[in-house]
Amino acid sequence: MTEQRELLPTATGRQAVAALRALLRPRRWLAAAGLFVLTAATAVGLAVAPLLGHVVDLVTTGAPASAITTPVVALAVIAVLSGAATAYGLTLIARLGEGALAELRERFLNRALRLPLGQVERAGSGDLTSRAGNDLNAVASVVRSGLPELARSLLAIGLTLAGLAVLDWRFMAAALLAAPVQLYTVWWYGGRALPLYARQRIAVGAQQQQLLETIGGAPTVRALRRREEHLGRVTGRSQDAVDLTMRGVNLVTRFYARLNLAEFIGLSAVLATGFLLVRSGEVTIGAATAAALYFHNLFTPVNIALGLIDDVQAATAALVRIVGVADLPEPAAPPAARTPADASLHADAVSHSYTADRPVLHDVTIAVPAGQRVALVGASGAGKSTLAGLVAGVHQPTSGSIRVGGVGIGDLDPSGRRAVALITQEVYVFAGTLAEDLRLARPDATDAELTAALERVGAAEWATALPEGLSTVVGEGGHRLTAAQAQQLALARLVLADPAVAVLDEATAEAGSAGARVLEASVAAALHGRTGLLVAHRLTQAALADRVVVLDEGRIVESGSHDELRETPDGRYAELWRAWSGRRDADRAA
Amino acid sequence: MPQLTGGRVLREALRGQAGRITGSALLSTGHQAGEAMVPVVIGVVVDRAVGTGSSSQLLLWLGVLGAVFLTLSFSFRFGARLGERAAEQAGHVLRVRLTDRVLDACGGADTGRLPGALASVATSDAGRVGMVALVLPLGVAGILGLAVGAVALLRVSLPLGLLVLLGTPLMMGLAHLLGRPLQRRSEVEQDRIAHTAGLAADMVGGLRVLKGIGAERAAAERYRLSSRAALTATVHAARAKSWHDGTLLAVNGLFLAVVALVGGRLAADGAISIGALIAAVGMAQYLIGPLSMLVWVNGELAQGRGSAVRIAEVLASPAAVGGDAPLTGPITGRLAVRGLTHGGLRDLDLDVTAGQLVGVVTADPAHAEALVDLLGREREPDSGTITLDGHDLSTLDPEAVRAALLVAAHDAELFEGTLRDNVLAPAADGSTVPRQRTAPATLTGQADTAADGPLTAAPAASGTDSLLGAALAASGADEVAATLAGGVDGALAERGRSLSGGQRQRVALARALAADAPVLVLHEPTTAVDAVTELRIVNGVRRLREGRTTVVITTSPALLAAADTVHFVADGALTASGTHEQLVREHTGYRATVLA
Repeated sequence: MTEQRELLPTATGRQAVAALRALLRPRRWLAAAGLFVLTAATAVGLAVAPLLGHVVDLVTTGAPASAITTPVVALAVIAVLSGAATAYGLTLIARLGEGALAELRERFLNRALRLPLGQVERAGSGDLTSRAGNDLNAVASVVRSGLPELARSLLAIGLTLAGLAVLDWRFMAAALLAAPVQLYTVWWYGGRALPLYARQRIAVGAQQQQLLETIGGAPTVRALRRREEHLGRVTGRSQDAVDLTMRGVNLVTRFYARLNLAEFIGLSAVLATGFLLVRSGEVTIGAATAAALYFHNLFTPVNIALGLIDDVQAATAALVRIVGVADLPEPAAPPAARTPADASLHADAVSHSYTADRPVLHDVTIAVPAGQRVALVGASGAGKSTLAGLVAGVHQPTSGSIRVGGVGIGDLDPSGRRAVALITQEVYVFAGTLAEDLRLARPDATDAELTAALERVGAAEWATALPEGLSTVVGEGGHRLTAAQAQQLALARLVLADPAVAVLDEATAEAGSAGARVLEASVAAALHGRTGLLVAHRLTQAALADRVVVLDEGRIVESGSHDELRETPDGRYAELWRAWSGRRDADRAA
Repeated sequence: MPQLTGGRVLREALRGQAGRITGSALLSTGHQAGEAMVPVVIGVVVDRAVGTGSSSQLLLWLGVLGAVFLTLSFSFRFGARLGERAAEQAGHVLRVRLTDRVLDACGGADTGRLPGALASVATSDAGRVGMVALVLPLGVAGILGLAVGAVALLRVSLPLGLLVLLGTPLMMGLAHLLGRPLQRRSEVEQDRIAHTAGLAADMVGGLRVLKGIGAERAAAERYRLSSRAALTATVHAARAKSWHDGTLLAVNGLFLAVVALVGGRLAADGAISIGALIAAVGMAQYLIGPLSMLVWVNGELAQGRGSAVRIAEVLASPAAVGGDAPLTGPITGRLAVRGLTHGGLRDLDLDVTAGQLVGVVTADPAHAEALVDLLGREREPDSGTITLDGHDLSTLDPEAVRAALLVAAHDAELFEGTLRDNVLAPAADGSTVPRQRTAPATLTGQADTAADGPLTAAPAASGTDSLLGAALAASGADEVAATLAGGVDGALAERGRSLSGGQRQRVALARALAADAPVLVLHEPTTAVDAVTELRIVNGVRRLREGRTTVVITTSPALLAAADTVHFVADGALTASGTHEQLVREHTGYRATVLA
């Protein structure tokens, strides 16, 4: 349903150029040095054709065979010089490109990590991931292979034209007859390629996503006997991607066909010019030969330079997507960043709606004194997770305020330690070692502190049993953790992050009933000494909380201690408790 | 059937595109020959026209040049298209074939493989095997291009021709030898670079988790360090590559000097014409093209072979389950488990009476998983049998078993598409990709209004719609529909990620109920829903499954209390049976498991 998504912004051409300029400015001397060395290398290389022409002249004028030696020695010297200068020049250009690229990807990731979650979710998880993956790679590959090639080709073209002019200006004029066709071709191609590449990229992304969904859900597809349907989805999306790729190929081949025409026009013109100039005695056969060889040698650099437009366009499409995120304006910094006075949590008259006409929270007010624990209870869809997200600062409430230790969530010092942490039922293990994963929560933690955190949430046993302990590589491509282990890891991160307020949104849900009981103990240990807001669907968690808040359709319908609410006649919580444990009480009584 | 090997996968992929590959090879050869002819014709023009001043010769040979260009241009254009189409189509065919294998009723392809790794086989590896269809014609053309060049050169001058033909590969070999240590150094650095490339996507994938604990800064710093290390590595690698390229350039130039020396001396002695000299010099440059192309083709072929092996491994994965007997006649729904041993279950005997709602409690959650896998025919038991109406499941066609006995696993996935398409399989035409359904236009023209409630937004009522309505109501998923813009025709994101865990669980349950299977097995269907909704679900499931066999594998007291019979499995064997009340009263182990 790509149509419904609200993709993350892409930069305009002007913004992209400004971003590139900003990247290049601090490296301008490197750029100048690189260009100078490469120019020298190319210029030296250009002496080859006239030297060969000279050989031809020596032959036609009947010089002795030994006279050939001098130009040939010059050819050898040129070979070594231009090889060395090219190598050095390319090294400089690589330092330039790679440095700028590193800065760009760091800026991108730094900004991407601070995007509001709501925005990322509206765009679909694939949008940001494909920018961090495919797009960064597309730009990197152009910087790595395209940029040096382009620099060399452009220099070769420019200097060859100059060389033609030195032989005779009319050779250059003849060669330039090819230019209008080439320029037209580039213009013709540029207008068509960019939108096509953008569509192709989207189609390939959709294909990838479909494959992941179908393959990841294979047991489900088998159980429901929906193989045909999913095969149809994969086939359709794959064929879409293939067809768009082929449209791109058709475009590229027509592009090169036009360039062939330009080559023929230019080459014929240079040969005819040579013919006329030799006949009128204005240049030697050697010069005419050199001109023809010059022009023939232009085929490759011209094709490379114009062909790179292909890659450059693809990279441009990727670049605007990267810059679009990297250059997003920073959210306004709190006017006066403040530190919370204590660990209390207040939500005052909070209302929220994700889409204008669908409010999910109405006028919710909750006060949690420091160190206390409040359980949010209610039917699914009552707004519990939304409230948890608002308190954790994931979304901004539509109206009302949320304060921690008397400081509004938006005014908290963003550079200080996180005041509120959120753990959801979503488990994620980062690629890297277990220690690296944990240190995301506290970068300067010692190994002993990491082990202590794992111990506290009851994860030390399996963690130390891992093949290489804390140094075991986990996550994508590494050792696989179970859902319960991954959730304990999340709780250990919470312990290390050590926030004053912890919000837990059904943090035990993914483990199933039996695993949930183990995790409940881990949760209790992780929450010790913190202010806690728990979204609980297991009422045992609610019973242990200092206070229970019952939400229904986005409103607080009851609030009080477990015992108070349980005794409230006709109360919603009392009803819930009976539904959940009534049988249990009866069972026990019996 | 012979063993499926990488070679066979590759051959089949190429055979499927044989026509395109042949056409592409012919046309690419024409292109190469044309490219080779250009310097030769330049030499002829200088020789016969520029040197003699003959206008007619100039026009004649420019005409020939035009014909050469026409040939090379058209053959490139259509040769490249055929080759690319062959590559893309071959990759596509493999992609679909891999998906088909993974989804095969007998399973096995996804056993022990991560979804991400399998998806990468279906994209990268399928694409690389496809690439072979593209590079093969180019390889043929490269060799033929070399041959054409050789013939043209040898006709001009035997010694000069031999020098160029033997010298060019020698020169390239020398450059390769000189550059190899540099290249090797660059490969070592590539690993470090690849690591950073993956890191950005990995961190973005865990964005929610990072934000939850405020680790954005730490993550950015970790990435920065990795990026800086990669920068050092890339600059080293680029330096090595630059000197490699520079060496190639120098060796190439030195070789040209040798050709000029030999050719020039031959021409000065009158052994060859000036045109021959020019052609030889041009050819020395041209031959580098097809030769480096052959090197590249060779590399692609190696990669293609490696990918084909990986694809063959997936395609040839042993089936996880077997059986092909049809299941005939009406299903009464009587299940019997005898001596079942698998994944912690030890010699398990268990009976499920037809038409009952039966609860199964396992003290160890891993045992429940094992039972779910066996009932769903994801695995064969180590020993023992499960029979349905007396038929051993292991002998039956898995497809037929699943039609009669649906297992709704706890970790079942939802799919991108509408809520309706998730619950009911979309229309029989399986070729459609999910698309936006048009909501019915109302008189006011407003297609979706939340106030309409979930079900009124559905298109024309039919038998399936009443089934849908009943399933949604029984599972509590009607409330999910009510929260979606578009109701039952509202869209779910990939894997249902736009819903909360509890919402996903209810939609998955609705889907299982809507399948209307004679026997339904539910594994922990209510772990993520609240107590009130759970009670509603218990009543709904009971009512909807009245008279048909339903097995609920769970430890939830609300579900178990509603069951006609409950079986308690401890230490992998049946320990007690009875009603929930009886077991709670009489069995300590049961009490400890269910009422924690």
